[in-house]
Amino acid sequence: MALAPLDEAITLDQLSSDPYPIYRRLRAENPVLRVAATGRTLLTKAALTKAVKDNPELFSSDDPQTPMRPAFRAHTLMRKDGQAHFVERKAISKALTPTRIKSDWGPLYEQLAERYIARLPRGETVDLFADLCGPLAARILAHILGIPEASDEQMQRWSQLLIDGAGNFGWKPEPFLASDAANDEMDALFAQLEPIRRAEPDGSAFSLMLNADDPIPMSQIHANIKIAIGGGINEPRDALATIIYGLLTNPDQLDEVRAQAVWDKAFEEGIRWVAPIQASSRLVTKDTELCGFDIPKGDTVMTIQASANRDEELYEDGESFFVFRDKNPHQAFGNGPHHCAGAHVARRTVGKIILPMLFERFPRMALPKPEEVVWKGFGFRGPINLPVVLN
Amino acid sequence: MIKVTYVAQDGTETTLEAEEGASVMRTAVSNDLDGIVGECGGSMMCATCHCYVDEAWQDRAGRRSDDEDEMLEGAASEVTERSRLSCQIKLDQSLDGLIVHLPEEQL
Repeated sequence: MALAPLDEAITLDQLSSDPYPIYRRLRAENPVLRVAATGRTLLTKAALTKAVKDNPELFSSDDPQTPMRPAFRAHTLMRKDGQAHFVERKAISKALTPTRIKSDWGPLYEQLAERYIARLPRGETVDLFADLCGPLAARILAHILGIPEASDEQMQRWSQLLIDGAGNFGWKPEPFLASDAANDEMDALFAQLEPIRRAEPDGSAFSLMLNADDPIPMSQIHANIKIAIGGGINEPRDALATIIYGLLTNPDQLDEVRAQAVWDKAFEEGIRWVAPIQASSRLVTKDTELCGFDIPKGDTVMTIQASANRDEELYEDGESFFVFRDKNPHQAFGNGPHHCAGAHVARRTVGKIILPMLFERFPRMALPKPEEVVWKGFGFRGPINLPVVLN
Repeated sequence: MIKVTYVAQDGTETTLEAEEGASVMRTAVSNDLDGIVGECGGSMMCATCHCYVDEAWQDRAGRRSDDEDEMLEGAASEVTERSRLSCQIKLDQSLDGLIVHLPEEQL
Protein backbone atom coordinates (compact mmCIF):
# COMPACT_ATOMS: atom_id res chain seq x y z
CA MET A 1 0.00 0.00 0.00
CA ALA A 2 1.04 3.62 -0.43
CA LEU A 3 1.16 6.72 1.68
CA ALA A 4 -1.58 9.27 1.11
CA PRO A 5 -0.82 11.74 -1.68
CA LEU A 6 1.25 14.79 -0.76
CA ASP A 7 -0.02 18.28 -1.53
CA GLU A 8 2.48 21.10 -1.74
CA ALA A 9 0.19 23.74 -3.22
CA ILE A 10 -2.23 24.50 -0.39
CA THR A 11 -0.97 27.31 1.85
CA LEU A 12 -1.79 28.21 5.45
CA ASP A 13 -2.94 31.61 4.21
CA GLN A 14 -5.49 29.96 1.93
CA LEU A 15 -6.70 27.74 4.76
CA SER A 16 -7.04 30.74 7.03
CA SER A 17 -8.82 33.07 4.62
CA ASP A 18 -11.30 30.67 2.97
CA PRO A 19 -10.80 26.94 3.54
CA TYR A 20 -14.26 25.79 2.47
CA PRO A 21 -13.73 25.54 -1.32
CA ILE A 22 -10.53 23.60 -0.60
CA TYR A 23 -12.29 21.21 1.77
CA ARG A 24 -15.08 20.68 -0.74
CA ARG A 25 -12.51 19.67 -3.35
CA LEU A 26 -10.65 17.43 -0.89
CA ARG A 27 -13.84 15.63 0.13
CA ALA A 28 -14.44 14.79 -3.53
CA GLU A 29 -10.88 14.06 -4.60
CA ASN A 30 -8.52 13.45 -1.66
CA PRO A 31 -10.28 12.87 1.66
CA VAL A 32 -6.96 11.64 3.07
CA LEU A 33 -4.21 14.06 2.05
CA ARG A 34 -0.81 14.98 3.42
CA VAL A 35 -0.70 18.76 3.29
CA ALA A 36 2.89 19.97 3.40
CA ALA A 37 2.05 23.42 4.74
CA THR A 38 0.45 21.91 7.86
CA GLY A 39 2.87 19.02 8.30
CA ARG A 40 -0.13 16.80 8.85
CA THR A 41 -2.46 14.38 7.12
CA LEU A 42 -5.82 16.11 6.64
CA LEU A 43 -9.01 14.07 6.98
CA THR A 44 -12.02 15.81 5.48
CA LYS A 45 -14.90 13.28 5.44
CA ALA A 46 -17.31 13.00 8.39
CA ALA A 47 -16.99 9.21 8.74
CA LEU A 48 -13.19 9.54 8.92
CA THR A 49 -13.05 12.36 11.44
CA LYS A 50 -15.55 10.61 13.68
CA ALA A 51 -13.82 7.23 13.46
CA VAL A 52 -10.47 8.78 14.38
CA LYS A 53 -11.79 10.66 17.40
CA ASP A 54 -13.74 7.64 18.61
CA ASN A 55 -10.55 5.56 18.66
CA PRO A 56 -8.18 7.18 21.17
CA GLU A 57 -6.02 4.06 21.51
CA LEU A 58 -4.96 4.30 17.88
CA PHE A 59 -5.28 8.07 17.50
CA SER A 60 -3.91 9.59 20.68
CA SER A 61 -4.28 13.11 22.05
CA ASP A 62 -1.08 12.62 24.03
CA ASP A 63 1.44 14.57 22.04
CA PRO A 64 4.69 15.08 23.97
CA GLN A 65 5.90 17.58 21.37
CA THR A 66 2.94 19.91 21.58
CA PRO A 67 3.61 23.65 21.97
CA MET A 68 0.64 23.56 24.35
CA ARG A 69 3.00 22.36 27.04
CA PRO A 70 5.17 25.50 27.26
CA ALA A 71 2.15 27.71 26.49
CA PHE A 72 0.19 26.42 29.48
CA ARG A 73 3.32 25.53 31.49
CA ALA A 74 1.65 22.17 32.07
CA HIS A 75 0.73 18.91 30.41
CA THR A 76 -3.01 19.54 30.24
CA LEU A 77 -6.00 17.22 29.99
CA MET A 78 -6.47 18.21 26.35
CA ARG A 79 -3.32 16.30 25.59
CA LYS A 80 -3.87 13.26 27.79
CA ASP A 81 -5.65 9.98 27.19
CA GLY A 82 -7.42 7.32 29.20
CA GLN A 83 -7.60 7.45 32.97
CA ALA A 84 -5.26 10.44 33.33
CA HIS A 85 -7.58 12.49 31.14
CA PHE A 86 -10.73 11.08 32.72
CA VAL A 87 -9.74 12.02 36.30
CA GLU A 88 -8.92 15.62 35.44
CA ARG A 89 -11.91 16.02 33.19
CA LYS A 90 -14.27 14.68 35.84
CA ALA A 91 -12.88 17.21 38.32
CA ILE A 92 -13.96 20.19 36.21
CA SER A 93 -16.94 18.79 34.33
CA LYS A 94 -19.03 18.86 37.50
CA ALA A 95 -19.19 22.64 37.10
CA LEU A 96 -20.44 22.31 33.52
CA THR A 97 -23.40 19.93 33.79
CA PRO A 98 -26.94 20.86 32.70
CA THR A 99 -28.28 20.43 36.23
CA ARG A 100 -25.61 22.73 37.64
CA ILE A 101 -26.27 25.26 34.90
CA LYS A 102 -30.00 25.27 35.53
CA SER A 103 -29.84 25.36 39.32
CA ASP A 104 -26.81 27.53 40.03
CA TRP A 105 -26.17 29.59 36.99
CA GLY A 106 -29.27 30.15 34.84
CA PRO A 107 -30.42 33.36 36.57
CA LEU A 108 -26.88 34.76 36.69
CA TYR A 109 -26.31 34.14 32.96
CA GLU A 110 -29.55 35.95 32.22
CA GLN A 111 -28.53 38.93 34.34
CA LEU A 112 -25.12 39.10 32.69
CA ALA A 113 -26.58 38.84 29.19
CA GLU A 114 -29.14 41.50 30.04
CA ARG A 115 -26.50 43.86 31.38
CA TYR A 116 -24.21 43.50 28.35
CA ILE A 117 -27.05 43.75 25.84
CA ALA A 118 -28.69 46.69 27.63
CA ARG A 119 -25.58 48.83 27.31
CA LEU A 120 -25.52 48.57 23.49
CA PRO A 121 -26.63 51.86 21.89
CA ARG A 122 -29.86 51.77 19.87
CA GLY A 123 -29.87 53.27 16.38
CA GLU A 124 -26.12 53.13 15.90
CA THR A 125 -23.72 50.88 14.05
CA VAL A 126 -21.99 48.63 16.54
CA ASP A 127 -19.32 45.99 16.10
CA LEU A 128 -21.10 43.18 17.94
CA PHE A 129 -18.02 40.98 17.75
CA ALA A 130 -15.92 43.39 19.82
CA ASP A 131 -18.67 44.97 21.91
CA LEU A 132 -20.81 41.97 22.80
CA CYS A 133 -19.65 38.53 21.69
CA GLY A 134 -16.16 38.63 23.21
CA PRO A 135 -16.83 40.48 26.48
CA LEU A 136 -20.01 38.56 27.33
CA ALA A 137 -18.38 35.19 26.62
CA ALA A 138 -15.48 36.25 28.87
CA ARG A 139 -17.75 37.42 31.70
CA ILE A 140 -19.89 34.29 31.77
CA LEU A 141 -16.82 32.07 31.71
CA ALA A 142 -15.15 34.00 34.53
CA HIS A 143 -18.15 33.22 36.73
CA ILE A 144 -18.36 29.56 35.74
CA LEU A 145 -14.68 29.11 36.51
CA GLY A 146 -14.84 30.91 39.84
CA ILE A 147 -12.58 33.80 38.91
CA PRO A 148 -15.09 36.66 38.39
CA GLU A 149 -12.45 39.00 39.84
CA ALA A 150 -10.65 38.79 36.46
CA SER A 151 -11.71 41.56 34.06
CA ASP A 152 -13.18 40.98 30.59
CA GLU A 153 -10.00 42.42 29.14
CA GLN A 154 -7.79 40.05 31.14
CA MET A 155 -9.88 36.99 30.30
CA GLN A 156 -9.82 37.77 26.57
CA ARG A 157 -6.15 38.68 26.50
CA TRP A 158 -5.08 35.59 28.46
CA SER A 159 -7.21 33.41 26.24
CA GLN A 160 -5.64 34.77 23.08
CA LEU A 161 -2.08 34.54 24.44
CA LEU A 162 -2.63 30.92 25.49
CA ILE A 163 -4.03 30.10 22.06
CA ASP A 164 -1.17 31.88 20.30
CA GLY A 165 1.34 29.94 22.41
CA ALA A 166 -0.45 26.62 21.91
CA GLY A 167 -0.43 27.20 18.14
CA ASN A 168 3.22 28.23 18.05
CA PHE A 169 4.31 25.30 15.90
CA GLY A 170 7.28 27.29 14.65
CA TRP A 171 8.53 27.37 18.28
CA LYS A 172 9.38 31.08 18.10
CA PRO A 173 10.33 32.62 21.46
CA GLU A 174 7.96 35.63 21.48
CA PRO A 175 4.62 33.78 21.80
CA PHE A 176 5.98 31.76 24.73
CA LEU A 177 7.31 34.91 26.43
CA ALA A 178 3.84 36.41 26.08
CA SER A 179 2.07 33.28 27.35
CA ASP A 180 4.55 33.10 30.25
CA ALA A 181 3.58 36.61 31.30
CA ALA A 182 -0.11 35.66 31.09
CA ASN A 183 0.56 32.50 33.13
CA ASP A 184 2.22 34.61 35.83
CA GLU A 185 -0.82 36.88 36.02
CA MET A 186 -3.23 33.95 36.14
CA ASP A 187 -1.24 32.02 38.75
CA ALA A 188 -1.08 35.12 40.96
CA LEU A 189 -4.84 35.64 40.74
CA PHE A 190 -5.63 31.96 41.38
CA ALA A 191 -3.35 31.95 44.45
CA GLN A 192 -5.02 35.07 45.76
CA LEU A 193 -8.53 33.63 45.28
CA GLU A 194 -7.82 30.13 46.54
CA PRO A 195 -8.51 30.75 50.24
CA ILE A 196 -11.77 32.53 49.41
CA ARG A 197 -13.05 29.70 47.18
CA ARG A 198 -12.12 27.23 49.89
CA ALA A 199 -13.75 29.19 52.70
CA GLU A 200 -16.94 29.95 50.79
CA PRO A 201 -17.62 26.99 48.50
CA ASP A 202 -19.85 27.62 45.49
CA GLY A 203 -20.68 25.83 42.25
CA SER A 204 -17.77 27.29 40.31
CA ALA A 205 -15.13 25.09 38.72
CA PHE A 206 -12.34 26.43 40.95
CA SER A 207 -14.34 25.90 44.13
CA LEU A 208 -15.54 22.42 43.15
CA MET A 209 -12.01 21.32 42.26
CA LEU A 210 -10.52 22.76 45.47
CA ASN A 211 -13.17 21.30 47.74
CA ALA A 212 -13.45 17.86 46.13
CA ASP A 213 -13.11 14.84 48.45
CA ASP A 214 -10.10 13.65 46.55
CA PRO A 215 -8.79 16.75 44.81
CA ILE A 216 -6.45 16.65 41.83
CA PRO A 217 -3.05 18.34 42.37
CA MET A 218 -3.04 22.14 42.52
CA SER A 219 -0.89 22.35 39.40
CA GLN A 220 -3.61 20.49 37.48
CA ILE A 221 -6.36 22.62 38.98
CA HIS A 222 -4.56 25.65 37.60
CA ALA A 223 -3.98 23.92 34.26
CA ASN A 224 -7.67 23.00 34.00
CA ILE A 225 -8.76 26.59 34.58
CA LYS A 226 -6.28 27.80 31.99
CA ILE A 227 -7.50 25.25 29.47
CA ALA A 228 -11.02 26.51 30.05
CA ILE A 229 -9.87 30.12 29.56
CA GLY A 230 -7.98 29.22 26.39
CA GLY A 231 -10.81 27.06 25.11
CA GLY A 232 -13.91 28.72 26.47
CA ILE A 233 -14.03 32.26 25.12
CA ASN A 234 -13.30 32.09 21.40
CA GLU A 235 -15.81 29.34 20.77
CA PRO A 236 -18.96 30.89 22.24
CA ARG A 237 -17.80 34.28 20.91
CA ASP A 238 -17.32 32.99 17.38
CA ALA A 239 -20.45 30.83 17.54
CA LEU A 240 -22.56 33.83 18.54
CA ALA A 241 -21.11 36.06 15.83
CA THR A 242 -21.52 33.33 13.20
CA ILE A 243 -25.16 32.66 14.10
CA ILE A 244 -26.05 36.37 14.14
CA TYR A 245 -24.44 36.69 10.69
CA GLY A 246 -26.32 33.63 9.43
CA LEU A 247 -29.67 34.92 10.64
CA LEU A 248 -29.19 38.52 9.49
CA THR A 249 -28.16 37.43 6.00
CA ASN A 250 -31.15 35.05 5.81
CA PRO A 251 -34.08 37.21 6.99
CA ASP A 252 -36.69 34.60 5.98
CA GLN A 253 -35.07 32.10 8.28
CA LEU A 254 -34.78 34.69 11.04
CA ASP A 255 -38.53 35.34 10.82
CA GLU A 256 -39.25 31.65 11.04
CA VAL A 257 -36.82 31.11 13.92
CA ARG A 258 -38.54 33.93 15.76
CA ALA A 259 -42.01 32.62 15.00
CA GLN A 260 -41.20 29.09 16.11
CA ALA A 261 -38.81 30.17 18.91
CA VAL A 262 -36.21 27.66 17.74
CA TRP A 263 -33.07 29.57 18.70
CA ASP A 264 -31.54 26.28 19.74
CA LYS A 265 -31.82 25.02 16.15
CA ALA A 266 -30.21 28.24 14.91
CA PHE A 267 -27.40 27.62 17.37
CA GLU A 268 -26.78 24.07 16.10
CA GLU A 269 -26.85 25.21 12.49
CA GLY A 270 -24.47 28.09 13.10
CA ILE A 271 -21.82 25.88 14.67
CA ARG A 272 -22.31 23.27 11.95
CA TRP A 273 -21.96 25.83 9.19
CA VAL A 274 -18.77 27.41 10.53
CA ALA A 275 -17.45 25.31 13.40
CA PRO A 276 -15.60 27.55 15.88
CA ILE A 277 -13.01 24.79 16.29
CA GLN A 278 -12.33 23.66 12.76
CA ALA A 279 -9.54 21.13 13.15
CA SER A 280 -7.94 18.87 15.78
CA SER A 281 -4.74 16.83 15.82
CA ARG A 282 -4.25 13.22 16.81
CA LEU A 283 -1.00 11.29 17.03
CA VAL A 284 -0.98 7.87 15.33
CA THR A 285 0.20 5.25 17.86
CA LYS A 286 0.76 2.33 15.47
CA ASP A 287 0.89 1.69 11.76
CA THR A 288 -2.61 1.69 10.36
CA GLU A 289 -4.53 2.61 7.23
CA LEU A 290 -7.31 4.98 6.30
CA CYS A 291 -9.23 4.73 3.00
CA GLY A 292 -6.61 2.37 1.64
CA PHE A 293 -3.62 4.58 2.44
CA ASP A 294 -0.84 3.70 4.87
CA ILE A 295 -0.85 5.89 7.95
CA PRO A 296 2.44 5.25 9.75
CA LYS A 297 2.99 5.32 13.49
CA GLY A 298 4.19 8.77 14.57
CA ASP A 299 2.22 10.56 11.86
CA THR A 300 -0.12 13.33 12.98
CA VAL A 301 -3.57 13.26 11.45
CA MET A 302 -5.78 16.29 11.50
CA THR A 303 -9.53 15.84 11.70
CA ILE A 304 -11.21 18.69 9.87
CA GLN A 305 -14.61 18.88 11.55
CA ALA A 306 -15.26 22.08 9.57
CA SER A 307 -15.31 19.88 6.48
CA ALA A 308 -17.10 16.94 8.11
CA ASN A 309 -19.90 19.35 8.96
CA ARG A 310 -20.50 20.05 5.26
CA ASP A 311 -20.03 16.47 4.06
CA GLU A 312 -22.33 15.77 1.10
CA GLU A 313 -23.00 12.30 2.51
CA LEU A 314 -24.72 13.84 5.52
CA TYR A 315 -26.00 17.17 4.26
CA GLU A 316 -27.88 18.51 1.32
CA ASP A 317 -26.27 21.83 0.39
CA GLY A 318 -24.06 21.86 3.44
CA GLU A 319 -22.34 25.01 2.18
CA SER A 320 -25.45 27.04 3.03
CA PHE A 321 -26.75 28.22 6.38
CA PHE A 322 -30.14 26.54 6.73
CA VAL A 323 -31.64 26.29 10.20
CA PHE A 324 -34.49 23.95 9.31
CA ARG A 325 -32.58 20.80 8.47
CA ASP A 326 -34.23 17.50 9.40
CA LYS A 327 -31.11 16.14 11.02
CA ASN A 328 -28.00 17.96 12.08
CA PRO A 329 -25.43 15.42 13.28
CA HIS A 330 -22.58 17.93 13.26
CA GLN A 331 -19.21 17.38 14.88
CA ALA A 332 -18.64 20.95 16.07
CA PHE A 333 -18.25 19.73 19.65
CA GLY A 334 -16.06 16.86 18.52
CA ASN A 335 -16.70 13.33 19.71
CA GLY A 336 -14.98 10.63 21.69
CA PRO A 337 -13.40 11.21 25.11
CA HIS A 338 -12.48 14.81 24.33
CA HIS A 339 -16.02 15.79 23.37
CA CYS A 340 -16.35 19.47 24.33
CA ALA A 341 -16.84 19.77 28.08
CA GLY A 342 -18.50 23.15 27.58
CA ALA A 343 -21.17 21.92 25.16
CA HIS A 344 -24.00 22.15 27.67
CA VAL A 345 -22.96 25.62 28.79
CA ALA A 346 -22.65 26.87 25.21
CA ARG A 347 -26.05 25.49 24.18
CA ARG A 348 -27.68 27.04 27.20
CA THR A 349 -26.01 30.45 27.19
CA VAL A 350 -25.77 31.18 23.48
CA GLY A 351 -28.73 29.17 22.21
CA LYS A 352 -31.30 29.61 24.94
CA ILE A 353 -30.42 32.93 26.57
CA ILE A 354 -28.32 35.35 24.52
CA LEU A 355 -29.78 34.90 21.01
CA PRO A 356 -33.47 35.32 21.93
CA MET A 357 -32.66 38.21 24.26
CA LEU A 358 -30.61 40.07 21.66
CA PHE A 359 -33.18 39.70 18.86
CA GLU A 360 -35.98 40.66 21.20
CA ARG A 361 -34.26 43.87 22.26
CA PHE A 362 -33.31 44.82 18.70
CA PRO A 363 -36.08 43.33 16.55
CA ARG A 364 -35.00 45.26 13.45
CA MET A 365 -31.27 44.66 13.83
CA ALA A 366 -29.59 44.70 10.40
CA LEU A 367 -26.29 43.95 8.76
CA PRO A 368 -26.27 46.50 5.91
CA LYS A 369 -22.95 45.43 4.40
CA PRO A 370 -22.33 41.72 4.92
CA GLU A 371 -19.43 41.91 2.47
CA GLU A 372 -17.52 43.97 5.03
CA VAL A 373 -17.50 41.09 7.50
CA VAL A 374 -14.08 39.44 7.55
CA TRP A 375 -13.84 35.71 8.28
CA LYS A 376 -10.58 34.29 9.47
CA GLY A 377 -8.92 31.22 10.86
CA PHE A 378 -7.76 27.70 10.12
CA GLY A 379 -7.77 26.06 13.59
CA PHE A 380 -10.33 28.41 15.10
CA ARG A 381 -12.69 30.27 12.78
CA GLY A 382 -15.32 32.99 12.85
CA PRO A 383 -16.00 36.57 11.80
CA ILE A 384 -13.54 39.05 13.28
CA ASN A 385 -15.95 41.97 12.95
CA LEU A 386 -19.72 42.26 12.80
CA PRO A 387 -20.91 45.82 12.09
CA VAL A 388 -24.66 45.77 12.68
CA VAL A 389 -27.18 48.57 13.03
CA LEU A 390 -29.15 48.11 16.24
CA ASN A 391 -32.87 48.91 16.04
CA MET B 1 -30.24 -10.70 16.41
CA ILE B 2 -31.14 -8.97 19.64
CA LYS B 3 -34.21 -6.76 19.81
CA VAL B 4 -34.37 -3.58 21.88
CA THR B 5 -37.48 -1.47 22.32
CA TYR B 6 -37.21 2.26 23.00
CA VAL B 7 -40.26 3.94 24.50
CA ALA B 8 -40.45 7.70 23.94
CA GLN B 9 -42.08 10.14 26.36
CA ASP B 10 -45.25 10.22 24.27
CA GLY B 11 -45.49 6.43 24.42
CA THR B 12 -44.21 5.76 20.88
CA GLU B 13 -42.37 2.45 20.79
CA THR B 14 -39.55 1.72 18.37
CA THR B 15 -38.05 -1.74 18.22
CA LEU B 16 -34.58 -2.04 16.72
CA GLU B 17 -32.42 -5.00 15.91
CA ALA B 18 -29.00 -4.85 17.51
CA GLU B 19 -25.78 -6.67 16.98
CA GLU B 20 -24.26 -8.68 19.79
CA GLY B 21 -21.78 -6.48 21.66
CA ALA B 22 -23.27 -3.18 20.49
CA SER B 23 -24.52 -0.78 23.16
CA VAL B 24 -28.09 0.43 23.57
CA MET B 25 -26.79 3.92 22.64
CA ARG B 26 -24.90 2.78 19.53
CA THR B 27 -27.91 0.80 18.30
CA ALA B 28 -30.15 3.85 18.63
CA VAL B 29 -27.70 6.28 17.03
CA SER B 30 -26.87 4.06 14.06
CA ASN B 31 -30.60 3.73 13.38
CA ASP B 32 -31.14 7.49 13.61
CA LEU B 33 -33.53 7.16 16.53
CA ASP B 34 -34.67 10.45 18.05
CA GLY B 35 -34.22 10.77 21.78
CA ILE B 36 -30.72 9.31 22.18
CA VAL B 37 -27.94 11.71 21.21
CA GLY B 38 -24.75 9.99 22.34
CA GLU B 39 -22.62 12.92 21.33
CA CYS B 40 -19.35 11.68 22.84
CA GLY B 41 -19.55 8.34 21.09
CA GLY B 42 -19.81 6.22 24.22
CA SER B 43 -16.87 7.45 26.26
CA MET B 44 -19.00 8.55 29.22
CA MET B 45 -18.28 12.21 28.70
CA CYS B 46 -21.55 13.82 27.74
CA ALA B 47 -24.60 12.26 29.48
CA THR B 48 -26.71 12.65 26.35
CA CYS B 49 -27.66 8.96 26.04
CA HIS B 50 -29.58 8.81 29.31
CA CYS B 51 -32.34 6.18 29.46
CA TYR B 52 -34.55 4.51 32.07
CA VAL B 53 -34.35 0.73 32.04
CA ASP B 54 -37.79 -0.86 32.22
CA GLU B 55 -38.45 -2.26 35.67
CA ALA B 56 -38.73 -5.80 34.41
CA TRP B 57 -35.26 -5.62 32.90
CA GLN B 58 -33.40 -3.77 35.61
CA ASP B 59 -31.61 -6.77 37.13
CA ARG B 60 -30.55 -8.22 33.80
CA ALA B 61 -29.31 -4.88 32.44
CA GLY B 62 -27.09 -4.46 35.49
CA ARG B 63 -26.42 -1.56 37.80
CA ARG B 64 -24.54 1.58 36.94
CA SER B 65 -20.90 1.97 37.87
CA ASP B 66 -19.60 4.76 40.12
CA ASP B 67 -18.21 6.70 37.16
CA GLU B 68 -21.50 6.33 35.32
CA ASP B 69 -23.31 7.50 38.41
CA GLU B 70 -21.20 10.66 38.55
CA MET B 71 -21.70 11.38 34.86
CA LEU B 72 -25.44 10.95 35.26
CA GLU B 73 -25.40 13.90 37.65
CA GLY B 74 -24.97 15.86 34.46
CA ALA B 75 -28.04 14.50 32.73
CA ALA B 76 -30.57 17.03 31.51
CA SER B 77 -33.62 15.11 32.73
CA GLU B 78 -34.50 13.68 36.13
CA VAL B 79 -32.29 10.84 37.27
CA THR B 80 -34.03 7.92 38.99
CA GLU B 81 -32.87 4.55 40.27
CA ARG B 82 -33.65 3.16 36.82
CA SER B 83 -31.42 5.68 35.05
CA ARG B 84 -28.51 4.41 32.99
CA LEU B 85 -26.22 5.81 30.34
CA SER B 86 -27.26 3.70 27.40
CA CYS B 87 -23.69 3.64 26.06
CA GLN B 88 -22.79 1.53 29.09
CA ILE B 89 -25.37 -1.19 28.44
CA LYS B 90 -23.76 -3.70 26.12
CA LEU B 91 -26.16 -6.06 24.42
CA ASP B 92 -26.00 -9.85 24.42
CA GLN B 93 -28.58 -12.61 24.02
CA SER B 94 -29.64 -12.32 27.65
CA LEU B 95 -30.94 -8.84 26.84
CA ASP B 96 -32.98 -9.86 23.79
CA GLY B 97 -36.30 -8.03 24.20
CA LEU B 98 -34.89 -5.27 26.44
CA ILE B 99 -37.15 -2.29 26.96
CA VAL B 100 -35.77 1.16 27.78
CA HIS B 101 -37.66 4.41 28.28
CA LEU B 102 -36.38 7.71 26.91
CA PRO B 103 -36.13 10.88 28.99
CA GLU B 104 -37.84 14.16 28.23
CA GLU B 105 -34.64 15.75 26.97
CA GLN B 106 -30.96 14.98 26.55
CA LEU B 107 -29.48 18.44 26.07
